[in-house]
Order: sequence, then structure tokens, then C-alpha cells
Amino acid sequence: MPALRELQSAFLRAMFGPDEPELLTAIAGDGLLPEARLQIYRHHVMTSLTDALQATFPVVCRLVDERFFRYAADAYIRHYPPAAPCLFEYGAHFPAFLAAFPPCRHLEYLTDVARLEWAMNTAWHAEVCAPLDPAELGSLAPHDVAQLTFQFDPSVTLLDSPWPIDQIWRVHQSAEEVYDPVDLNAGGVSLEIRRWEDDIGFRRLAPAIYAFRTTLATGHPLAMAAEAALAVSQEFDCVAALHELLTDGVVIGFTL
Amino acid sequence: MVYMRTSAKLGVGIGLRAPHVAEVQTTRPAIGWLEVHAENYMGEGAPLAALERLRANYPLSVHGVGLSLGSAEALDNRHLSRLQRLITRLEPVLVSEHLSWSIAGSIYLNHLLPLPYTEETLVVVAQHVMYTQEVLQCRLLIENPSSYLRFTHSAIPEPEFLGELVQRTGCGLLCDVNNIYVSCYNLGGDPVAYLDALPARAVGEIHLAGHAVNDADGQAILIDDHGAPVSDAVWALYDHALARFGPVSTLIEWDTNIPALPVLCAEAHTAERFMQRTEEAGYAGVA
Repeated sequence: MPALRELQSAFLRAMFGPDEPELLTAIAGDGLLPEARLQIYRHHVMTSLTDALQATFPVVCRLVDERFFRYAADAYIRHYPPAAPCLFEYGAHFPAFLAAFPPCRHLEYLTDVARLEWAMNTAWHAEVCAPLDPAELGSLAPHDVAQLTFQFDPSVTLLDSPWPIDQIWRVHQSAEEVYDPVDLNAGGVSLEIRRWEDDIGFRRLAPAIYAFRTTLATGHPLAMAAEAALAVSQEFDCVAALHELLTDGVVIGFTL
Repeated sequence: MVYMRTSAKLGVGIGLRAPHVAEVQTTRPAIGWLEVHAENYMGEGAPLAALERLRANYPLSVHGVGLSLGSAEALDNRHLSRLQRLITRLEPVLVSEHLSWSIAGSIYLNHLLPLPYTEETLVVVAQHVMYTQEVLQCRLLIENPSSYLRFTHSAIPEPEFLGELVQRTGCGLLCDVNNIYVSCYNLGGDPVAYLDALPARAVGEIHLAGHAVNDADGQAILIDDHGAPVSDAVWALYDHALARFGPVSTLIEWDTNIPALPVLCAEAHTAERFMQRTEEAGYAGVA
């Protein structure tokens, strides 16, 4: 009789691989083949993990159709089985996996749609934080302002793509046939995904604003963010951009 | 150790699932209590905020599915501390987990997998239950799993294994009546004898759910999919459980093919009628 640890290791291998004779001899048939009994568990493990991925990536699933999605998910689960029991956190590598998965590598926008869905999932489960009160910045000396850094709300993801992934996402909100297909040559987008009150949403940012916020979100000071934005567009208005940053609830704190 | 009350009579509750959260909040259906899966609320975002609002209106039970008390390896301390934080925040009236395992080699299999019932397993599970109760500072209710196989070296019948676990750890039991029916059907066994073999005073909660009948190599096998109304056979077994355990807090679970909320509540009201009948019949209660 196998010790518990060996039995569980063998069971784990059997969930992702073929039946092992030693494990089968430890299973009572009770009128069925041990293989058939083991298969019930294998089926449930794979199905429930696939369902979890489908719940997080519903638009990706509609884009490739459910049968292909389940095929890709099966391969993903074998490469990256979950390391922890909270399944809303499972699937972080799925966008990158899709980009490298040969049968769908030609669908170049797919991985960015997956990144958008992952960002929305992250926002949904991120901690609820109070936005920064702009009055807290009122006492700063003007020469300090350039060195300000900001802490972004944990629900925020900034994401750009050469494809109109926001439109692709919107027209695939239901399983119904899409009659108004997205023009894939319509150009790329720079998106901000975050919690908006009790809901999750995203919006397009102008390229300079995107450069400004991305620089700040990665921990760089205001002066550097302004430079990055000006490099994108000479029209960039730093005062207006800072005002919007402080009033639309996207930052929760600052350091000097 | 500070034990939470597990003897409170909560009546009949429902397992709260995501599609029903908003409707329960706005319509406040007449049900006794709500139970949630701990792992769905370990984020800090909207789901937890919604649950904190519901807490004002319903007693809450936290039902873990991911602790893997039966794993030969050590418990996942990060997961346990997240469970502890959730319990501190929600102050549930009941906290439960399963007699099963789902983690091996730090891989989580998302299923309540079967254990061999041996002395070795008993030592492992008892250690993990005691450690968990100490960290959470509350009494755990341990649920009997639904099973599709048994191991040839399983030497201890499941209800006796659970009874011994209660003895060694002071835990309570969550008696899933549908799981007893499903396991006894699939592995051969008498569900009434199973119920009779459980230590009645330890039972602090009952689960009810529907199951599916599948075909495996030409033989019927029951799948615990929580995807249908409670079957007549399981209602009959519930009646027997009430007669034996008293009007224990009972929960209806429905996880696949999730119906409209009123359908789920109607199922809870059916359970209430069984419970009232037991009380009218003058159940004396276990002291």
C-alpha cells in the first residue's frame, strides 16, 4: 500500500498524464474498471479549470469558438497548472501562452484581447482604495512639484495594442453572430482599465496622456512623465494633464 | 481556543453564487442564512464589498474548498492566512472545509479528491484540522466528500473516520446528505447506516443539493454536480438525518445550471417544511 504522499503524487501525475499501473492497483473497481473511476476525476479536474479560464476570458473564447478555446485551455493547464486555490487569480500567463501557441499564433490581436480581459479581472478583485484628495498637495512648494511621484489605484492597468481591442471586446459581448465586424486596420489603442465606482471599465487615452500616465504608474517623477508625454506630442498640456490625474480618482497617494 | 457557536439554529439557507448576489441584496428573500465559498472572496474588490453589505441582513457561513486538509504535504500558509483575514472581516457564524485533498507538489487540482481512510491519513488530517482551528481561532465543520472511487487499502469506514476525527480534534461535522447518497450509490453502501454511524452531536450543518446520473461503461454513476433539484431519495434521507440530528442548520447548494433565485429559495422552503415537521414531531434534541 502506497504512503499518502506517494499516492497523491501518483494521482496528480494521472490527472495530467496516462494511467499508472501502481495507482490503478490501489483503486477498488467495485463493478467498474479502476481506469473508469480515475477518469471521472481527471475529467472533472480538467473541465473545472477550463471553466475557470473561460470565466476570466469570455471574449477570447467567443473569438476562437468554444471548442478551440477548450483545446487551448487544456494545453495551458498542463503547462501552467494552478499553484493556489483562488481561481480568479488563475490565468496570468494565458495571454502570453496564446501568443506562442502555434494553432492561433496568426491571430495577432488575440493575445492583446486576453491581456485586456486579464486587466479587467485584476481590476474587479483589486483592493478598494480611497482616491487622493488633491487638497493634500496644496502645501507643496512649486519647486517640489517636479519630483512628485504618485501611487496609482491598484485596479488600474495601462495597456496599448496595435489593434482596436476595445472595439473587438465590445462587439463580442454576447455569443450572438457579429454583423458589424471590426476593421482590424482601424489602428491601435492606448487603454486605461480600472474600477469606476462599482463597475469595471476602460477608456482610450490620447497617446501623450498614455505616455504621461504610464511613466508615472511605473514610479517615475512628474518631470520625467511630462518629458515622455512631450516627446509624443508637442501639444501636451502638463497642467491640464496633472489636473485630470488628480481629479479622476486614478491616484491614491503621492511621495516627495 | 475560542470556539464560535456552531449550535445556533439558523434554519435553511442558500449557497450564494455570483449571479444572485445583486438580486439577494435588492429583494432580500426570506431565507435563514447565506453560505459562500471562501476562495471566491479572497480578493479585496467588488465581490467582498457586496458580501460585507449582505452581512447586515443575513447570518453568513464561510465554506472553504481549497485548504486541502488531506494533503500529505504541509498546509499552504499563505492560503490559510487569507482565510483567516476573511473570517476576521466577515465574522461568519459557521466555518467549514472538506475531508479531501486537492494540492500535491504545490499544484492545486480544484477538485475534492478522495483519501484512503487509514491511520496515516487520520494523523495527517487531524494535525491539519487542529492547526487550522488554532490559526482561525474557531471550530471547523468538516464535510464528507462525494466519491467516485475508494482505495483498496482504505481500512476505516468513512463515518467512523469522521467520528475519530471529531474525537481527536474537537471539530464538528458538516453532513452533506447528497454526498452520502452519491458515494453510497457509487461505491456500494447503505446511506441510512452511514447516517446512523455519524456522531450525532458533532453535526453542526447539513448540505443538500442535486446530482446527475451519468453512464460509465454501461453502468450508472451519480455525479455530484449541484445542478438539479434535490432528488426524492435525498429528501427521504434528509428526513432521516433530521430525525437523528435534530433541526440542524441546512443549506441548499446549486452550482451548475444555476436557476432563478426564486427557484433556489423554493427549494430552501421545501427543506424548511421538512424541518418544521421534525420539530412538530417533538424532536427532543441532542443535549
